[in-house]
Amino acid sequence: MNATAARPAFGRDPAVTAAVIVLWLLLALFVVYPLAMLFVRIVVDKGALDLSGIVKILTDRHQVRAFWNSLLLAFLVGIAGTLIGFLFAFTAARTRLPRAALTLLDASVLLPLVSPPFTTAIAMIFSFGPRGLITYDLLGIKGVTVYGLTSTLCSEVLTYFPIAYLTLRPILAAIDSNVEGMAFSLGASRWRVFRTVTLPLAVPGLANAFLLLFAASLADFATPLILGGNQFPVLPTQAFLQITGMFDLRGGAALSLVLLVPAMIVFLLQRYWVSRRYYVTITGKGAGQTPFDSVSPWVRRALLTACVATVVVVVYFYALLFYASIVVAFGANHALTLQHYRVIFTEGLKAIRDTLIIAGFAMPLGGLYGVLLGYLVTKKQFVGRRTMEVVSMVNYALPGTIVGIAYLIAFNDPPIELTGTALVIIACYVFRYGPTGIRATVALLSQIDRSIEEASQGLGAGSGTTFRRVTLPLIMPAFFAGLGVVFIRSMTAISATIFLVSISWTLITVKILENMTELALGPAAAFSVLVVAIVFVVIGAVGWLLRSFRAPGAARVTSLLGG
Amino acid sequence: MNPGTIGVTVDNVSKRYAHRVKGEIYAARDVRIDVRPGEFLTLLGPSGCGKTTTLRMIAGFERPDAGQIRFGGEDVTDLPANLRNIGFVFQNYALFPHLAVGENVAYGLRVRGQPEATIDKRVREVLALVGLAGYEQQFPGQLSGGEQQRVALARAIVIEPRVLLFDEPLSNLDAKLRVEMRDEIRALQRRLAITTIYVTHDQEEAMAVSDRIAVMSGGSVVQDGSAEDLYHRPATEFVARFVGRVNLIAAEVKGAHAGALDVEALGGVIRVRSRATGARVGDRVQLVLRPEAIVLAATPVATALSGTIEARTFLGEKVEYRVRCGGESLQVVGYNAGPGSALAAGSVVGVTINAEATTVVPQ
Repeated sequence: MNATAARPAFGRDPAVTAAVIVLWLLLALFVVYPLAMLFVRIVVDKGALDLSGIVKILTDRHQVRAFWNSLLLAFLVGIAGTLIGFLFAFTAARTRLPRAALTLLDASVLLPLVSPPFTTAIAMIFSFGPRGLITYDLLGIKGVTVYGLTSTLCSEVLTYFPIAYLTLRPILAAIDSNVEGMAFSLGASRWRVFRTVTLPLAVPGLANAFLLLFAASLADFATPLILGGNQFPVLPTQAFLQITGMFDLRGGAALSLVLLVPAMIVFLLQRYWVSRRYYVTITGKGAGQTPFDSVSPWVRRALLTACVATVVVVVYFYALLFYASIVVAFGANHALTLQHYRVIFTEGLKAIRDTLIIAGFAMPLGGLYGVLLGYLVTKKQFVGRRTMEVVSMVNYALPGTIVGIAYLIAFNDPPIELTGTALVIIACYVFRYGPTGIRATVALLSQIDRSIEEASQGLGAGSGTTFRRVTLPLIMPAFFAGLGVVFIRSMTAISATIFLVSISWTLITVKILENMTELALGPAAAFSVLVVAIVFVVIGAVGWLLRSFRAPGAARVTSLLGG
Repeated sequence: MNPGTIGVTVDNVSKRYAHRVKGEIYAARDVRIDVRPGEFLTLLGPSGCGKTTTLRMIAGFERPDAGQIRFGGEDVTDLPANLRNIGFVFQNYALFPHLAVGENVAYGLRVRGQPEATIDKRVREVLALVGLAGYEQQFPGQLSGGEQQRVALARAIVIEPRVLLFDEPLSNLDAKLRVEMRDEIRALQRRLAITTIYVTHDQEEAMAVSDRIAVMSGGSVVQDGSAEDLYHRPATEFVARFVGRVNLIAAEVKGAHAGALDVEALGGVIRVRSRATGARVGDRVQLVLRPEAIVLAATPVATALSGTIEARTFLGEKVEYRVRCGGESLQVVGYNAGPGSALAAGSVVGVTINAEATTVVPQ
């Protein structure tokens, strides 16, 4: 605290001061306040401290089982997803694939990454359900139940393994192939090189991928809601059912908060264990040589076969989804029709319009918020700078269920009554997904040498001109990355916003879920196809903007999804 | 010399690459090199000349498209790197970042299944040999560039390789350390008498460490020989320019004698020692004038050419001049003979060419 005295107090620049104050007010309102209200609501009942009801629900046998189920599912998803992600990443980084094959690999991985999280779950039902293509039509099994751990696990693994792939690929690519070549020249076999050099160097990345998948599965709400069934309750669905089914907001809040414990552990592990174990590249100039052949031809074939098999499954699921959207009744009547699209563009039109309006507002606001906050915390000195950075990441790091319930509790009653408005949904998206833009901005700015800005000032430019002419063009990629992510998530997210929709404002994803529970599978499939199509168009546009704004040689914002 | 020391033969080896624009290009073309047992041979050339590709083929990281590589008569062309028993030192050292220094050095011994006690003893011996005794527990990330270089060296020699290969090992070090390390590498190689092939683009470094230098250009060896050979008797203009500083002057052969030529250049006739066969009277050639083969006299001499000093740079032990002579601007180096001995800019001087230190190359 003493150190703050030496720093220039609260910004000499009035514009910076104003921006900092506004951001703090927004963070207080949309991050700190809802969480505080969530805690208060759980421990205070009718104006007095009361924990008995909470203890009762938390010790309920059914809920305890849901807790362990959540952990088991997350663990298995972490292991299996990391394995498949590593398979893809290793194949991409080490088998000298032709460019076209790499593009194909990336594209098929993108599909689950940008879809609503439950698209594979729906396809799972089309494939393995009671009237599923494989179970009923191909194998002729009747009365099969698709619901339970296995199907939830498969569906989540297919949905989330791309995260592991995106985490691991740059790590494997960064391992100097000379180091592997060196081990090889010292007499080690390729397998031994892999075991003693490649794998140990990838361990921090593997751990990180596992933790990311663990957290994603832990927070996933829609997949278990569709596939878990009564057999396999997990915490997020239990919290949801407690609120929507039993009208017990307090119990639901308490259940969601239990998720916080494993989520926090994962976050701390990532921050304080994994991040310190990355081996910095200690070498100077890269050799710039063609990489050493780290796999033998038959291993290469085996790896490619495994990747292709996975891609085929992914593509099959999406093809099935599309097919289900253009037949009268999947599993019963396979006559081609456009009636489901007619339905979603008439009865469902409101949801589509609402979603697009909300996404349309959230997108620029989220992009701006990310760039502004990222710029301030990296380039300006002010009191509470680090705290602001941490607080801004909170909604991003928390499972969506917690954020959704917190918003529901905080904005349901005066003094700040926002429930039922579009604003609360937009705010939720901006503060939950805007942090991707913050991280991209921070990453870009920390790669820009201070001397570039000093050079501009040395040439006589004022700080305003320097920002406009030098800094701003350099952080444009981060702006578009933030923009893209907020839009995609506004189109596909559900875990938080399912608590925030109302009669006046609803979302496509919520509509899909409703259709699923009413067994209106055709419209659900049509909606899903529509969302995937819109998202792909927007990703294409943002990708094009990113490319045209990237100065030659400037750092790339690689992932649209930002981890 | 070890009885096991072997020579290396690179026999007409070629390597092609697909190139996006130019189609297929040769990274190495009909390369022939014969390294004698225990010899220190350097592949010298500018970037893209094929020296590193050649080295990587000798190591077994790349497979030649044509030709043969032999280790002491044994054909190893199809043998992968891990079965060749070589020691390789990379430009960026390629230390295993997750292993301590001791384990880095022990890696090759473990692969060979040596008993723990032997490994321990050998690692300690070799680390002491490269001046890193007691560094076993440190991690590569904690070491300076020079120390990392020594670990890479220790790791390569501990397995008693048949051939030691260096790929620009000193280019990541600062100038002073570079000189120090190259002397150490040379001394160590002498002591261990391991056949060594060394790649560099730095001609001074090549001269300092090598028994023999093979100069490469455009994927092929253009000339090989000792440092003195290459400096005094370059076969082509490329070698003359690449090895040492040079004045290349257009000249015409006026008379041919046994072991000497009279050439017309710089407005006079100059006699040079030349073994260049085939140079006949009337041929257009290039005179290879090294800066120290030109002797300046304070006053013009009747037998010599005359020139004007355009500029001079005092560098302590030597003085560099730029001299206008016979329509050319020559670089000349003279040794500092004491206070006041340096010639003044603008003065007219006598220019004598040292015939013994001068030769011609084809134009």
